[in-house]
Amino acid sequence: MKKLSVITLCLLLAAAVAPVMVASPVAPVEAQEDTLTVLCTPQEDWCVAMTQAFEEETGIETSYVRMSSGESLARIRATQDDPEFSVWWGGPADAFIAAYEEGLIEPYEPELASVLAPNAVGVDHSWHGVYVGALGFCSNVEFLEELGIEAPTSWEDLLAPELKSNVAVAHPATSGTAFTAFWTIVTLKADELEAAEAGTGYDEDGMPTQAAIDNAFEYFSKLHQNILQYTRSGAAPGQMAANGEIAVAIIFSHDCVKLQVEGFEGIVVNTFPEEGTGYEIGGMGLIKGAPEPEAAKMWIEWALSVDAQSVAGTVNSLQLPTNPDTPVSDLSVKLNEVNLVEYNFIAAGMNRTAIAERFDAEIAPQPTE
Amino acid sequence: MNNLIRGRPIAEFRRIIQDPVLFIGLILVVVFIIVAILSPIYMMVEESLTEKGQELFDRYLNSPVYRTIIRNTLEMGLIVAALGTTLGFLLAYIQVKVDVPFKRLMHITYLVPIISPPFAVATAVLLLFGRNGMISRGWFGIRYDIYGLDGLSLVLTLSYFTVAYMNLKGMMQALDPALDEAATNLGANKFRIFRTVTVPMLIPGIAGSFLLLFVEAIADLGNPLVMGGNYEVLSTRIYVSIVGLYNTTAAAVLSVILLVPSLLVFMVQRYWISRTSVVSVTGKPTGTPQQITHPLVRWLLFGAGLFVSLFILLIYGTIFAGAFTKILNINNDLTLDHFDFVINGYGSEAMKDTTKLAAIATPVAGLLGMVIAFLVVRKRFMGRAALDFATMLGIAVPGTIIGIGYLLVFNRPNEITLPLLGTITLIPKLTGGRAIFGGAGAIVLVFIVRSVPAALRSGVAALSQIDPSIEEASISLGADNIGTFRRITLPLIRPAFFSGLVYAFARSMTTISAIIFLTTSRTKIMTHQILNEVENGRYGNAFAYCVILIGIVLVAIVILSVAVGTTTGAEKTMEGGA
Repeated sequence: MKKLSVITLCLLLAAAVAPVMVASPVAPVEAQEDTLTVLCTPQEDWCVAMTQAFEEETGIETSYVRMSSGESLARIRATQDDPEFSVWWGGPADAFIAAYEEGLIEPYEPELASVLAPNAVGVDHSWHGVYVGALGFCSNVEFLEELGIEAPTSWEDLLAPELKSNVAVAHPATSGTAFTAFWTIVTLKADELEAAEAGTGYDEDGMPTQAAIDNAFEYFSKLHQNILQYTRSGAAPGQMAANGEIAVAIIFSHDCVKLQVEGFEGIVVNTFPEEGTGYEIGGMGLIKGAPEPEAAKMWIEWALSVDAQSVAGTVNSLQLPTNPDTPVSDLSVKLNEVNLVEYNFIAAGMNRTAIAERFDAEIAPQPTE
Repeated sequence: MNNLIRGRPIAEFRRIIQDPVLFIGLILVVVFIIVAILSPIYMMVEESLTEKGQELFDRYLNSPVYRTIIRNTLEMGLIVAALGTTLGFLLAYIQVKVDVPFKRLMHITYLVPIISPPFAVATAVLLLFGRNGMISRGWFGIRYDIYGLDGLSLVLTLSYFTVAYMNLKGMMQALDPALDEAATNLGANKFRIFRTVTVPMLIPGIAGSFLLLFVEAIADLGNPLVMGGNYEVLSTRIYVSIVGLYNTTAAAVLSVILLVPSLLVFMVQRYWISRTSVVSVTGKPTGTPQQITHPLVRWLLFGAGLFVSLFILLIYGTIFAGAFTKILNINNDLTLDHFDFVINGYGSEAMKDTTKLAAIATPVAGLLGMVIAFLVVRKRFMGRAALDFATMLGIAVPGTIIGIGYLLVFNRPNEITLPLLGTITLIPKLTGGRAIFGGAGAIVLVFIVRSVPAALRSGVAALSQIDPSIEEASISLGADNIGTFRRITLPLIRPAFFSGLVYAFARSMTTISAIIFLTTSRTKIMTHQILNEVENGRYGNAFAYCVILIGIVLVAIVILSVAVGTTTGAEKTMEGGA
């Protein structure tokens, strides 16, 4: 009886205090839209430079949170009833396709959409490409010498026993880089199957078959023996290679070049798998239910401009710009110099979540011998 | 009169109700515990027991992979607990029983890990003893593979042994030297005394430290993320299922699996060890402890103590050096860039936010701890033990569980619909960037929840040693309860209050596992930023953060000691009378 009355009193007291608590601090931030919250997926220094440049350009107070692509997708999904971000900028388009599929993104067509290559524009203008880059291997020269092997030039090379525990890649559930690597293998396995027997690698819609996906899982469970650890963010393995913690990192080649420019010249070397590598089109999209939709649209318009795309160079982010008028650095890896796979972004996007979950259940937690 | 009340808790309860200030205090405490501690844990357990959750339980507990992960977690916990307790015991023994030089200096170095952020040790160890370590590879030419259990054991032991050290040192100092003297008089040699007197007397302390370290180790998230390699533990699995997949059910199920050993250990410590305690803490030892004088033993112990000190200095020296160099071990040019990043660059927000929030949480946690201690020790009412127990859950439960529980409870406004009044928001949405205060509310709450238990324990320890008659005298002289608490009790437990505050601030500044899920675009937290920097290999920035964080904690300790250190009239009287 006494206990009960205590609880009742607590509730009454809380009820008395609560309205006061609610009333005061909630200011209607969204009314005037002088702020913008960006969900930013590329490396942190680029996020800083972009938000500062936008703030200078428009006077809109711009803040950001950096999250890897898979993390971002998870966060947007979790907060869809009351989104905290207005625009999502960067990271492979697969994640944007997955997000649009789930109704988390609001289509918006910016004026400059017309200058983009057709593959850099999402269905219904759900997303737009802001940069492009190819996947590669970033290796520590000295470490390779010690192991007595050459820098890897094929996906098979990564399975060499010498590389046991000496390779790192991010976790496909959190990182778009790692997912790009996974889907690259899916594509290569589909090509292999298709070459052996027509119709086994791709279905009638041109989507890689379940068999191809299974084969990719088989490849990654072999590769797992050579992985030291799965990092959260895609570019992190590059730093591990640069610091001599591992021999080979599977990362985007522009992130490897960035390392070289920023003090690891001669320490890391950038190579590509000859059978073909994947690439990303960095996406950008308006988040459905965005708290600052007008500011977000301004960002989307601005991010495709030459001015905005030139910011990348100032922080050594050497991805290729999607606006063809933007000057390209000599240091950037040109896509026509690399053997690229036929990367099906739509198929990748639609399979993203299922693959991430399966990877986390079947591959990542496995002990290695 | 006191005895009469002891026998009648309800009567005492009535008395509490009659004192409105005390009554409101009790209500606030109860509301705090229900809202901030119990509801998140309850929601998480509930989530894990949904149909989907039960399936996952089935799958995890029957899968060999997850069994390995559970075994890894426990194995790591046991190793760290054993190593940390042994180290703590050894160092405490040297401090109390052996006459060696530089005692005070060595003592200070042992305390450093408490105020240092997570990952600081892990990152420095990686740089020194990792695969490209400055010592392992630079001096010995070995590419030592520190990732995995061995590295984790080293780093976690270094991070947590201080708890065991402080605990055991306190107990050893409180041991009555008369026992040693009696044993000596009966003809026992020093080793025999150590084996048959010292160790048995300290068993509860040793077991307590062991269990505490075990819980800390299995709950640790930051270190396995940085150097776990392929040694998977539960906390990292929980982390991926939230940040990568936002699968709250999977996270809740794994959390409950982690919660079982933590709570078990907590119960054992609480109900078994505290009962078997044979140490009579008199507060004042009746003489000085006998010192070990055997030269060989003395110098061996001195060497061991000094080695640990030097090792800690090496670790923190590396952090310091790394903060001032471009890329330590690759490009050793001096630079202030990293500090510029933290103080002026985009790192500054996190520094300001964290300090501000910790500064808000600290006095609340300190006072709350003292109030709960006061209620628990001095007042007799129903649910007193439950109050103490529930408060302690704040630290007994792994941080990841608190963090995920907060997401489950506070990610939406908590409302009730009452007749006549309509829908009332009891607690507004607290987590996420769109919540009030940009999500800072949940973070402050977590800071408080994680700090109150320590404040409570030191408050209880202090209050139990103060005779209630002093307070009763104050009441008889006409002071009310709140006045007595403020003018008599609080000054008397001032040292406990101070250590509670210091602990609360340090803990808030360095906590990671609970708040990692709660940071938002508008509220950034230093430890989370440090993790980002470490994960992306920008060690210089991470080290600069660590140096500044340690600096802030030290400054706070000075400020707190000035603020709390004022001697009051009551205390002077006590000192004069003693």
